[in-house]
Amino acid sequence: MKQAFIAELLKIRHAKIVWVTFIAFSLAPIMGGVFMLILNDPVAIENAGALSAKAQMMNFSANWNSYLEILTQAVAVGGVLIFGFVASWIFGREYSDDTAKDLLALPTSRIKILNAKYSLYVIWCFVLTVSNLVVGALIGLLLQLPAPTTDLITAHATNYFLTTVLTVIIGTPVAFMAIWSKGYLGPLGFVALALVFSQIIAATGFGYYFPWSVPGLFSGAGGEYKEQLDTYSYLILILTSVLGYIATVSYWRYADQEK
Amino acid sequence: MEIIKTESLSKFYGVTPASDNISIHVNEGEIYGFIGLNGAGKTTLIRMLLGMIKPDEGELSLFGKKMNPRFNLWNNVGYLVETPNSYPNLSVVENLKVYYHLRQLNDLSLLESIIQDLKLVKYKNVKAKHLSLGNKQRLGLAKALMHRPQLLILDEPINGLDPEGIVEVRELLKKLARNGSTIFLSSHILGEVSKIANRIGIIRNGKLIKELTNQELSEQLIKKVVVQTTDNTAAIKYLSSNNYAAVINDENEIELNEKKAILQPENLSRILTEAGFPPKQLYLFTEDLEMYFLRNIR
Repeated sequence: MKQAFIAELLKIRHAKIVWVTFIAFSLAPIMGGVFMLILNDPVAIENAGALSAKAQMMNFSANWNSYLEILTQAVAVGGVLIFGFVASWIFGREYSDDTAKDLLALPTSRIKILNAKYSLYVIWCFVLTVSNLVVGALIGLLLQLPAPTTDLITAHATNYFLTTVLTVIIGTPVAFMAIWSKGYLGPLGFVALALVFSQIIAATGFGYYFPWSVPGLFSGAGGEYKEQLDTYSYLILILTSVLGYIATVSYWRYADQEK
Repeated sequence: MEIIKTESLSKFYGVTPASDNISIHVNEGEIYGFIGLNGAGKTTLIRMLLGMIKPDEGELSLFGKKMNPRFNLWNNVGYLVETPNSYPNLSVVENLKVYYHLRQLNDLSLLESIIQDLKLVKYKNVKAKHLSLGNKQRLGLAKALMHRPQLLILDEPINGLDPEGIVEVRELLKKLARNGSTIFLSSHILGEVSKIANRIGIIRNGKLIKELTNQELSEQLIKKVVVQTTDNTAAIKYLSSNNYAAVINDENEIELNEKKAILQPENLSRILTEAGFPPKQLYLFTEDLEMYFLRNIR
């Protein structure tokens, strides 16, 4: 699979989409920084209107605890969108560029090529989350937020990366949509729908059994709804992810490839 | 050795047959030209040969090995299917490197050598999206040929090439066949197929309606002697009296399709001259593959 992975790395050379995802994803720590800035300044709170009201309503304060909460929630909600975008591109581009047919009769098996794509997807998403953490740390230092305790950092880092894992693994059905619909549009539409439904279902109080709501609830974006998450919530999410992977591999390996 | 073997291969889309009971045997070192109108089923057959589409009926094997998801002789096969697209933001050499890795090759000189063979040296660092149609085709061929496969399956390999490129590719394919490679190519540029192929298959509505060797093709092509004199009506009467079966065609020329006229047109010229009907024009007409093809599919 190493050769297939090197090929995948070659393919993202010069791809503007890589930078687009990093810029889009970094909006979260920047917006979080704006929240912190406003909350840190009584005059700004009065002038910022809706933004400060929102920040206060969410019980945020100008400290590392709130800031790291914002970053974690951004991974859960923004991640469904951005990671879905990454999966759509990695798997859908072969059809948009009309290069899929050149991957189907090679000594590197189709499954290895898919696994290389999944590996790239996972690494790309993790680098995105790490970069957000770095950007967030720089902004936090710049804003001179009160120094956090080691326990606080450990607790938030664990939460942050577990949220990342949950958000990343729910991307496999998006990959399947890309190769099934043969392009970007299908998976992007799927991501948009998943995101909308995750919000609606979470708001109705049943998000704990909807896989795309689980990362958001886990991150704390749903407040007290996090308590509703149980073993079944995670099992459903893992099952959805495994089914997405199996569907991708089976379709790529056994279905007629006419494009 | 039979490199490609299909037995009663069929593929249906609903009730429409894309391939209907096709049996083809292609031997080692052979160049097999596969011709048919658009939608005749050429690409479907090529995709079946490459394991991209599963046949509904029939058997298919490459190098004597049955085609199935476990088939693993893909480094013996190079292919080009339909439009040769590449990763648009990668240069020629980067595109080739992608397939170099996917083909698990370990001789970097293969890259340089194929770039030279296909006259892509000048463009090696140019992004694929900036290449002309002809150079995109060359890049597609480079991907197919880079690993020096024993079998080449090429769908419209000379599409978009300029006349010089067509000659180069023709010579390259002939050279590969001389060195033992087997080539299966489809094209709608029939003249080109006739120049390259040892054997030709004609497909229509998914059915293989004719299969013949170059020799058989040559025998089946219509040949005739066409003559133009100052008085064609009198000349044709004179030829009939000398046991030549001649007719006047739509262009008011004399046509003779007898063997003796075709084999010895100089005799015909002499007889007409001696009788006072010196030919203003006399030539041997041979039907080309295009005409033969159209005559057979109508």
